[in-house]
Amino acid sequence: MKIRFWGVRGSFAMSGRDFLRYGGNTSSIELVSNSGQRLLVDLGTGATELAKHLMGAEFGKGQGKLPILLTHTHLDHIQGLPFFTPFFIKGNEIRIMGADPISGLSLEATLQNQLAPHYSPLNGLENLAAGVTISSFVPGGTLEVPGFVVQTAAVPHGSMWTTAFRISADGKTVTFLSDVEYPSVDEPLPQALALAQDADLLIHDAMHSDLDYEMRRGWGHSPARAGVVVAERARAKRLALFHHSPDATDDMIDEVVARTSSETSVPVFAAAEGAYLDV
Amino acid sequence: MQITFWGVRGSYPVPGAATVRYGGQTSCVEVRAASGECVIVDAGTGMRQLGNKLLRESGGQPGQYHVLLSHVHWDHIQGLPFFSPAYIPGTRISVYALLTAADELNQVIGGITRHEFFPMPLEAVPAQFDFHQVEPGVDFVVGSFHVTPIALNHPFGSVGYRIDADGSSVAYVADTAPFDKVLHKQHFLAGPEPLSSDDTVALGAMRAALLARLKGVDTVIYDTHFLPDEYARFPHYGHSTPDQALDICVEAGVRRLVLYHHAPGHTDEQMDQVAATYLAKGASVGIEVLTSFEGMSLPIGAE
Repeated sequence: MKIRFWGVRGSFAMSGRDFLRYGGNTSSIELVSNSGQRLLVDLGTGATELAKHLMGAEFGKGQGKLPILLTHTHLDHIQGLPFFTPFFIKGNEIRIMGADPISGLSLEATLQNQLAPHYSPLNGLENLAAGVTISSFVPGGTLEVPGFVVQTAAVPHGSMWTTAFRISADGKTVTFLSDVEYPSVDEPLPQALALAQDADLLIHDAMHSDLDYEMRRGWGHSPARAGVVVAERARAKRLALFHHSPDATDDMIDEVVARTSSETSVPVFAAAEGAYLDV
Repeated sequence: MQITFWGVRGSYPVPGAATVRYGGQTSCVEVRAASGECVIVDAGTGMRQLGNKLLRESGGQPGQYHVLLSHVHWDHIQGLPFFSPAYIPGTRISVYALLTAADELNQVIGGITRHEFFPMPLEAVPAQFDFHQVEPGVDFVVGSFHVTPIALNHPFGSVGYRIDADGSSVAYVADTAPFDKVLHKQHFLAGPEPLSSDDTVALGAMRAALLARLKGVDTVIYDTHFLPDEYARFPHYGHSTPDQALDICVEAGVRRLVLYHHAPGHTDEQMDQVAATYLAKGASVGIEVLTSFEGMSLPIGAE
């Protein structure tokens, strides 16, 4: 299995020279199995770059099939949806899977609101030319996605919940735990540990510096240390820091990686836009 | 007056090496009068950085801010929840926008901070918001600014603003398609639709009203999202080309045109070419054509 980060930034897309090495696009991750099957997590602005890449192949001809998992529907995780060009080609089949927000709206109604005529000239999901299905699931179970086994769990994110994923293919496992804040940094929740158990790669929310975290407890994000605790307890083999703060320049992220690495024996890197990585 | 561009991009923010010089953030322009008063035109992602600057200037004290919205597509409002002065208790934010549907403005603007999209709903934001409905043809006054809303041709409606202060004027004309091939109404357009004779009359009237209001304006900021070949493929997307903007400015006797709302796919190198091409084209008809970039500041009127 290979992974490529198309967007690693949290909350807000950041352009400019200070954000070139790690990248300024918001959350979007592509996983590709050895047999070439593909799975996406999140549709932040990073998805618009991935879209260009996909359109060069079968999606440009209306022959693409793509499953997409959404962690939740905060804007930085879906803002690339109206600009994800495979949606505009008839024949593509795209399946979006996620939990219903706890507000009482369904996932589908939420995405309809995103494309409501005030906000988008697309004027509703029904105007996307591709075949689009939106399916809600209740976190805690397993999802069938061609080529992958996906286990899900709900984790706390401020006043709401997000879905965390354990994604396995080709005998390898990637765990995605972003937009999460545990009641205590040193006591990760059991469902998070279970998803991360023996994972080859743990991708974890690391939005806050330690100082910021003291001021922003309860906002639903973690400092880098939270990922370290999960990785160590669950014996994950590698830790990728993810959901970088929009205020974190490349140099600041370098410092976080250096400091975090010095505090654990688990290999740590900061997720960055760029090449495909072997899991 | 002085104007500063905080976001010049259309559709969605585009980080990366290809947009370092012109900038990747979406629509937001600060207009400042000699008195120091300011209005903000559009609340795209550029508004985050503007908010941080305004908060530094105020020393963290509450203030009164005025935001004129051309319309409420995501790329024009997405910065509002990230406008840091909104989190200072006592701050007041007045939002002016076209009402394009039965929903009240507060519901439309508040809709982007619904629980599903953003961690804090508008009601919980410390700043006090008030909403003002804008009608093309009905001028209004904001502090020392005289504001003239102008109807534009964009899906679900859009409004431009002529802003007069300090004896000079600037106009913000975005987002808009030209006024010939497509009349945008309140529905999804899969492609160009044939124009009825009523449509043609409506487009002609919209263009004439725009020209009348731009008459003699010092500087016009115009939606020039597309290059001509792109426009030919997507005439129903609701955006213009620099040539179409230049035609309008020539007819209206405008001194200076600023190209704005650049397509997200246009790289810095492409923008350099656009800037050079239209600087020369403008010069040939007596108009100074500038290409906006993030951080660009321009004095308006007598220098």
